Order: sequence, then C-alpha cells, then structure tokens
Amino acid sequence: MKSMFNILIVLSVLLSANTGYAQIKNPKKETIKILGNCDRCKSDIEKAGNLKNEVIVIWNKDSKIAEITFDSKKNSLTEILKRIALEGYDNDQYLAPDMAYAQLAECCKYERKKQMYASTEVQPKMEMDADMHHPEKHTEMAMPDMMPTNGLDALFDNYFAIKDALVKTNATAASAKASELLTAIKDLKIESLKAEEQTVVTKIMPLLMDAAKSISETKDIGKQRETFKMLSKNIHGIVTFYNSNETIYYQYCPMQDANWLSKDSTIKNPYYGSQMLSCGSTVETIDKKN
Amino acid sequence: MKKTIIWLLFLGVFSIQAQNIVRYDLFVRDTIVNFTGKEKRAIAVNGQIPMPTLTFTEGDIAEIYVHNELDEETSLHWHGLFLPNKEDGVPYLTQMPIPPHTVHKYTFPIIQHGTHWYHSHFGLQEQIGMYGSMILNKRPDDKTFRKGIDDLPTFPIVLSEWTDYKPENVHRMLHNASDWFAIKKGTTQSYAEAIKQGYFKTKVHNEWKRMNAMDVSDVYYDKFLINGKSENDDTSLKSLKAVDKVRLRISNGGASSYFWLTYAGGKITVVANDGNDVEPVEVDRMLIAVSETYDVVVTIPADNIAFEFLATPEDRTKSASIYLGEGIKQLTSPLPKLKYFEGMEMMNGMMKMNGDLDQMGMNMSMQQMDMNVVMYPEITGPEANGKKAKVEMDGEEPSTHKMEQMDGMDGMEGMKMNEDMYKSNELSDITTLNYAMLKSPTQTTLPDEAPVKELRFTLTGNMNRYVWSLDNKVISESDKILIKKGEKVRITLYNNSMMRHPMHLHGHDFRLLNGQGEYAPLKNVVDIMPMETDVIEFEANAEGDWFFHCHILYHMMSGMGRVFSYENQEPNPLIPNPQLALRKLKSDDRDFHIMAENDFATNGNDGQLMVQSTRWSFGTEWRLGYNDMHGYETETHIGRYIGKMQWLMPFVGFDWRYRKLGHNEVEENLFGQKNTKDKRSLVSVGVNYTLPMLVVAQAEIFTDGNVRLQFERNDIPVTQRLRMNLMWNTDKEYIGVLRYIATRNLGITTHYDSDMGFGVGLNLNY
Repeated sequence: MKSMFNILIVLSVLLSANTGYAQIKNPKKETIKILGNCDRCKSDIEKAGNLKNEVIVIWNKDSKIAEITFDSKKNSLTEILKRIALEGYDNDQYLAPDMAYAQLAECCKYERKKQMYASTEVQPKMEMDADMHHPEKHTEMAMPDMMPTNGLDALFDNYFAIKDALVKTNATAASAKASELLTAIKDLKIESLKAEEQTVVTKIMPLLMDAAKSISETKDIGKQRETFKMLSKNIHGIVTFYNSNETIYYQYCPMQDANWLSKDSTIKNPYYGSQMLSCGSTVETIDKKN
Repeated sequence: MKKTIIWLLFLGVFSIQAQNIVRYDLFVRDTIVNFTGKEKRAIAVNGQIPMPTLTFTEGDIAEIYVHNELDEETSLHWHGLFLPNKEDGVPYLTQMPIPPHTVHKYTFPIIQHGTHWYHSHFGLQEQIGMYGSMILNKRPDDKTFRKGIDDLPTFPIVLSEWTDYKPENVHRMLHNASDWFAIKKGTTQSYAEAIKQGYFKTKVHNEWKRMNAMDVSDVYYDKFLINGKSENDDTSLKSLKAVDKVRLRISNGGASSYFWLTYAGGKITVVANDGNDVEPVEVDRMLIAVSETYDVVVTIPADNIAFEFLATPEDRTKSASIYLGEGIKQLTSPLPKLKYFEGMEMMNGMMKMNGDLDQMGMNMSMQQMDMNVVMYPEITGPEANGKKAKVEMDGEEPSTHKMEQMDGMDGMEGMKMNEDMYKSNELSDITTLNYAMLKSPTQTTLPDEAPVKELRFTLTGNMNRYVWSLDNKVISESDKILIKKGEKVRITLYNNSMMRHPMHLHGHDFRLLNGQGEYAPLKNVVDIMPMETDVIEFEANAEGDWFFHCHILYHMMSGMGRVFSYENQEPNPLIPNPQLALRKLKSDDRDFHIMAENDFATNGNDGQLMVQSTRWSFGTEWRLGYNDMHGYETETHIGRYIGKMQWLMPFVGFDWRYRKLGHNEVEENLFGQKNTKDKRSLVSVGVNYTLPMLVVAQAEIFTDGNVRLQFERNDIPVTQRLRMNLMWNTDKEYIGVLRYIATRNLGITTHYDSDMGFGVGLNLNY
C-alpha cells in the first residue's frame, strides 16, 4: 500500500512538471491606460490579464499605464483588455460592467471618466464630466441634462428606491431611502414648478413628509408597508408633473387594497415581497415625457 | 363561358406579375476554419459560415438552387416555414438526400412573414457550419404592420457554437458517457470537490439515486458564435446613434446550446417569437432555446459607446458578444458560474428511486418555474462557503437538516419544496422572459367545429447511456402517427427526463396554450423543462410527412422524435422508394457506438471493447498477462438493455482463459465450486443490474455449472481528473484501479489485481 502511495506521488510530480515557467513566444508589447488607484487594483488588474506563459501585465498605479506583453499568436490585446474590464477596470477599449465596478474594493473605486456614458439601469441620471478620449461628445451628452427638470426627480427616485427596498423586504434600506426622500422633499424648489402644480404640491407636501418620516423612523417592515400605501396614494397625485424619461405604471394590489408606482410593467408587489410578489395588476400607465 | 375563360386567363397573368420570383444559388463546399488556433474541417455555403441570410417578402416565390459540391450528401430544411412537404428538406422523409456534386432546386411560395432560419437536416452537418438566417418581410400594406416595430432597422443574428472535435466523435463520446466534456468544463463534481464545498452527502445521495454528475448541457464547446464570430464588431451596427432603436432578428442555430441574452444598454423588448408577432414585452434577460427565433428591440442609450449584446450559453462556460453603436465598448455583466452542487441537490430531490421525476404536486409549465434558479447566483445568491454557512443563513437548525438527509437517504423528499422556490421573476428584481408572457396580438383560435385528435407524449431519456426518446421509444421503434386533414391536433407533452428539450414541429405553427386564451402565441418550437407539462395544438392543414423532434442535434440523432403523417396523402414524387427511405430514416438512431480502451501496465494488459446501440451491447473485456503464471483471459457479453432506465441487462457470454497455476492448484469459489482456471472456454448466461451508487451487480452461470456473482463500480470521480474502479466477485477475484485522466485519450493508471498483482500503466482509450 505504501509503495502504491509513493508511486502516486511520483506520478503527480511528473504530471505537474510541465507547468514550470517558460518564456513568452511571439512576444508583442503594448502600453495601455487602465483606470485604478491602489495596490489592490494593481493585483486585480494583473491577475485578470495574466495568462501563464502567454500574457504578462505590469500596471503602474501612478501613471495608470499597463505594459502588456503577450504571445501574439495565441492572444489579442482586445481579449486581455476585456478580461480586465470584466473585473471592473475601465480602459481604452472597454468600459467595465456597472456591477463589476460597484463590487470593487473601496480603494479601487477610481473616478469613472465615462460615468456619463454608463447605462441607464444603474445610474438613471447621467453625470457630466469632461471626457479625454471623446471631447467632442461633451455637447451631445449634455442633452439629457438640458431637458426641462422641475426638481421632482429626486423625489421620485427616492420613492422608487423605497418601493424596491420593500419589494426585497429590506426594512433597513427602506428606512434609509425614506430619510433621503424626506431631505428631497425639504429641498424641493417649489418655485420651479408651474403655478397650478405648485398648488397641488404644496397641498400634499406635508402628507408626503409625514409618511417619509414615519417610514424612516421604523425598522418594522409591516408598519413601513402600511405607511407606504399613504405615500403611494399621495405621490400618485403629482406623478403627471414628473418629467419621467421612463414609462411609469400605477399598480394595484387587491389583497391590500393599495396602489403603488413602478417603472416596471411586470408586477413586483412591495406589500408582500417574495411571498406574493406577482400579486396585482397595472391600473394606469403614465407615458414617459421625453 | 368564353368570357369566364378570358377573365380567368387575365387573373392568371395578373397573379404571375404580382408574384415576384426570388432566386438564390447556394454553393455548399468543404472548407477549413480556424476558430481555436487549429485548422479544422467545416462546411461553408457561398464561402461563409453562417450560410448567407436569405431575404424574401410575403407573396414572393422562392427558388433556391442548392449546388452540392461536397463529397457527401446533404439537404436543407427551411425551419418554421409553411411549404409543400417535398420542399421541407428532411432526408429520407420528404426527399432523398441531395447526392454529391449535383444541384437540387427547392421552390415554394412565401405565405408568411417573420424571422426564420435554415439548416442542413442531414447527419450532423448543422454542427459544422450549415445554418443561416431566413428573413421573411411583411408587405408594407399588411394590416398587421406595426408602426414603431416593423419599420425599425433590422439586423439578423444567428447564434451557434463550435467544437474542434468532429461532431461524429462528439456523438460517440456522449453515448459512451465519457466525462471528458465535464473535465473541460470543470463540472466533474467529484467527491473531493463535494467535500471541499460541503456537499459530500449531496454527492452520495446523487450516486445513491444512480445519477452521474449533473449539467445543463451535454457538450463542451471551444467557441460560441454570433454570426460566426465570438467577438463581433459588425460594421453595419456602427451607424447606430443615441436613442436609435434596432430590431435584432435572432435565431439560435446552435446544435445543442441554449443561450441567455443580455444587453449592456438596458432592457430588451421582445416583439416576435418563432416568426410570429407577440405583444411587446420588456425583460432584463431571456433564454433562447435551441432552434427558436426571437425578434427583440433594443435602444442605443448613448453616443460614442458600443453597447455589448451578450449571448451566454446555458452552461456559462464562455460567451459571444456583438456591439451596437460605435466607440468604446460598454460591457454587460457576465453571468456568474453555476452552483452545480445546489443543482445536484435539486436533482436529488426530484428524482425518485425508480428513475421517474417527482413533481411533488407542483404544476410546472411554460418555463415559469425554473428549477435551475437554485444554481443561478444572480437569483438565489452567491455560492455559500460550505454548506454550514448556508444552513445558518436559512435560519434552519443544522441538526434537523442533517437528520433529514441521513434518513434512509431519501430525506430530501421530506423537505418542503414549493412552487415559489423556483419562480425566477419573484425571487429577484431581474425580469426573465418565460412563455406565459408571450401573447399574440391577434386571435389565434382554431376552427371550433373541427374534430380534435388528442395525443400525449412523455419525453424520456437516460443520461448515462444517452438514449433520448418519446414514451421510451426512439424513432426506429415507432410507427408514423396518422393524422387527418382538417383535424385539430392537441398534444400534451410531459418531460420526465432530466434535461430540457426544444421540441420542433415541421411545416406548421402550433398554439402554445399558455394562459393567454384566444391570444395564445403561435410557435413551432416549444422548450420543455424537466417535470413540465405543456399543451400545444395545431390545425392539420398541410398534407405530408412532417417531422416532430427534439432539436438538440444529438438527441434527434439518438432518436427523439416522431413523424406525423397525413392519411391518404398523395405519394411524394421525391421519395421513389418509400420502404428504402423509411429504413434509411430509421438507421440514424440504430447506429452503433464504439468504445475501446486498453491499459498497458507493468503486470499485463487490461482492456475492453464495447459496441452499443440504443438497446444492444456487445462488450469484450480482456486481461492479458505477460507470462503463463499471470494468465490470459477474455470475457465477451452480448446483452440487451431492458426498461426505461436501462439498469437491467440480461446477456449471453463467452469466457476463455488460460493460466498456469503452480502444481495444478485448484481454486475454490465462495460457493465451494472448484475450478482450475488453467484452461477453460465456457459459454454463460447472466444478468447485469445497476444498483444504487452505480454499482453494477452481475450474476452469471457457466456451462460447467459454476456460478459467479460480481460487483463492480467504475469511474468513481475522486477528484476532477482522478477516477477509481473497484471490483470483487465470488471467484475471490478483486481489482482496484486508480486512473488519472491526462488527455481525452490518455490516462495513467495504477492498479492491483488478485490475479496479476500490482501494476502501473498507461491507459489508452477511444
């Protein structure tokens, strides 16, 4: 039995012998800018790019420049940069998926030069930022921000965030978003609205503030949901003033006899969460304004 | 009278003028491709893979000349089209295959619109390049023309996959239960991995139920392709600007891969399916089954960015991308790796000891409940670090959980499973398309007065032996199913196998009864997940012999299908000899698959040769020593597999052995029967039965009256690449083998054999 074991060891040594270091064949060298900040990013970037005996990436955290040496017969720069972007690091050819960026370690959250391009699902509002690679884009990209806004954006954004938190039965997030909503209501520049809108908004503002305050002050999901009925009903009163760039659906849950607003035509019931997520129906569709 | 004739003539002339003949010439040639760094044979049409996109408008007459410049036969099937039966392109069923170096003309009127595709229906040619888009445009004056959808710019997309292995070899390896594909995919699910991840009991339970490692697809592919490229920068998509919409007409031309579709620029709006319009529905992602088509509309949200449209095969090993817009490429999140052991646990729960699936009172249908969600980290959370962590998270008491698992190994059934555990759209805020969401914009009801013919099929299969069938019968074992013109044919399909199957009907669209009532969507492919029951119905309105089969190429070639044949139909002029054609049609799933291996070891040669078909097995094993003391022996068994799970195999055998024991020693078996072993040649009868833990028990009686009982378990996955074989029998023989799988055909073994002692060797297998 012992000899068998020895032979196994010999076998495994033999089998692993071919994995030693070898020089990269058909080498080609490129220098590329890859965004990142710290040593953690350096190891992430290099690990994502490196391939044994085929690719070596050396990234400098000060210059943000990577030196990439690779076997040009087996690899392409595009493939290597894609791998690095998928780990969360924007570079000359690829923008990382928003999720990958979001999951980067805190120290690696470099300033995304292309934040303004990022897809709308994660960051509905595009931030303006000069872009070195496409300076001419500046004016075109400014367009979304030039659309008439009347300050209701923050209000609705926070409302939808509370709704999402309730869908996920996350009381902590719901309460946090409710206090943001409270701030948003306080910061609302009422004078930016049209006269007839001002009347309606002024009337419901205290109701909204009460509801937001009460949701923010409790971690009891049941109470939050109860208050959310009120909040939804009142905010529905001003939804027509909101210049949404997405279609909004007014949905109804017969079991709770309550409504809510959603940007999603598929029912995700905030009053039950996963227990009865798809219970309900759309009762009104508010078309997008732009 | 004369007047009428003139009038008729006039009409005739008129209609000829109105009908536009559209001609395509397709030159089918052998070619060499290089997808992976290695040059391999493929088939190109007009020099390209995929085949060229064929575009027609409803009302056209198609004339397609197929120039077969291959040295083998071929035939082309127009997938999803309504056409005369003889143009349908199924070799030996609707036509004889197109002989090498000849030209065949297909011609048919285009009487529908929508996204369809075409592919070779001959052998395994579809796997190596013979697939392409077929776009049938609506006439602009069509009353179903949808502004904002039908007037968008369109772009055809064909999804496919590539393997460097010859498809015939892939097919053979599947039948031999080779786990090389699992090794390549990293999905061996060995005991070492199970222990490391805290799923040891799950693994034991799985083998107890006689299952091998689970997977969502069978074949390992080297590349996945969008219009022939895995990274596609098609220039015609670069002109797209911010807030432009584009309609992608997507066909899944893969031989066996389902694809997840996701888009970096936001939601995907589904507007048509299998060539039929559906009410637009917005989703975050969708799965396109093998051979389905979907039309989707996506928006380019910003300028100077190219947004990735990503197609990820269901096993998520790799992916293919195409970019919409011009500029720096915005990637979308790749789909995280599957949690295989969670899947295994789920499989354990649904598998009964007799090999049937246990629905546990759930009514599964229309892809709404997806058991696979347990494997999707994006829906059910990332892989827990060890089982313990998971149990704690669930807030269950670990002890009860363990108890349940240990109780007679069947504890899983005791666990509460309910429908909500698997409804993907309710478990997360990711909206995934399912069939229940498809709704036709127009009524699709069939004539009320038509007589109804009810049919019911159970999809059956046996992964270990790669037998796929309907009602446990393959094509060659079943008759054509007769239907009458004018009937409503309603088919209930229940999937009792462990894999999903895209069932495709030729020549007709069927209504998928998905709860949308009069607006049930029209389709020609229905994907049925394990344990699902789906009902489809169609109007029998086109004479001929129509194939109804699973569109996973290797399942079809294994015999998973049926032929619907109209009663009293005209003979097909392209089938001059129906008997011969039928025999040829049935020969596909009657093929024998060869497997051979030999272990060249220090103490002798050990090996076997197996030739197997759906039901039959011819196997020879040998152990050849290097001297008379060790002896030489061979055993040949010819058997037939019985039952759906094929656990039982009675056989007749032939045994020959020669060995020189010192001083004419006599051996005695456990039953006190004596046997010199020196020289014998005997005939035997016996039976194999696969026990839980995949142990094959063999009882055999020889012509000299000796009886032998043997227990053997092969290929225990110890680690990713290490396999163990164990054998013991009542002749007091035993063998233990450890094999390290180095390459597909080469292993390194060490074994101990009661006859030949200890040895180390090289294992070659085919």
